[in-house]
Amino acid sequence: LVFELIGDSRFPKARVEGLMTVAAQLMPDRWSGGVCPFAAGWRKVMMWVFIVTDGLLFAGFLGGYGYARTMSSQWPDQSAVFDLRYIAVMTFVLISSSLTMANAVGAAQNRQRRLGFRWLLLTIAGGVGFLGMQAYEWAHLIEVGARLDGNPWGDPLFGSFFFLLTGFHGTHVLVGVIVLATTAFRWGKGLASAAGVELAGLYWHFVDLVWVFLFTLFYLV
Amino acid sequence: MRATGGTSHSNKLYWTTWWVLLALTVLMLVIDSMVMPRSIFVSVLLTAMLVKASLIGAHFMHLRFERRSLALMVIVGLLINGAILFGLIVPDAIRIRMMVP
Repeated sequence: LVFELIGDSRFPKARVEGLMTVAAQLMPDRWSGGVCPFAAGWRKVMMWVFIVTDGLLFAGFLGGYGYARTMSSQWPDQSAVFDLRYIAVMTFVLISSSLTMANAVGAAQNRQRRLGFRWLLLTIAGGVGFLGMQAYEWAHLIEVGARLDGNPWGDPLFGSFFFLLTGFHGTHVLVGVIVLATTAFRWGKGLASAAGVELAGLYWHFVDLVWVFLFTLFYLV
Repeated sequence: MRATGGTSHSNKLYWTTWWVLLALTVLMLVIDSMVMPRSIFVSVLLTAMLVKASLIGAHFMHLRFERRSLALMVIVGLLINGAILFGLIVPDAIRIRMMVP
């Protein structure tokens, strides 16, 4: 029955996913594959697969950073280079945007269209704020001599990894803001489903998650 | 309480998570300004980092409420591959560091 309904475009996708969940729970052995082994729609599973692979990309960058950092005898003291209170405010903005995103997903699942839209707008504002602060930080460090191939504070790789790690993360934030703006527009027009908002939320929380690692490993340790 | 069936989670959980994340961030900054042995400093910061990451994954990303097979796919996949990366790369860096006079 479920397979027939999946192919029937007249049947709402949410109902199909609900049926798939029930079917998965009835499966005698959840590890044998079956209809829906993760009890989640394919879009959510694929988003998680993307998050794992993208996470490994960042793990590779951080592994390279760890290598350079351990090998270096002239790694600069971060507290002498960065204003850590400023970085803490950036962290606060991103963590808060994760809270607003979680609330947006909750509102979407409760079919509160207007409330969900407002939470999404707040999340976008947080993302834009974070990007603005990062642009200011980059401009300031470039002004005082930080470059991809050198810096005034010590090991040249310090500048390389700063621009690589924060630049790559910042690009993810920018993509997240675009995804959220598209989702908010579609949600506001009644075109997006609660599942679509949840997927955008998963990506946004991942961006926050990566920042937790960067903040600790690059700015503090 | 499962996310899969479209059930939402309470706002209280999100706000509590946010407060804990905030408190941990402040704690990390306080520790950063304190004088202590490097090994303790690094251990405390890494522990706080992992707690923060777990909270975001479990509560904001709903992994705690997903089926265990999905959570295991994500956590084990990341942990094993991350451990391989760091386990193979960093000891080599330490060896090279020791070779430099």
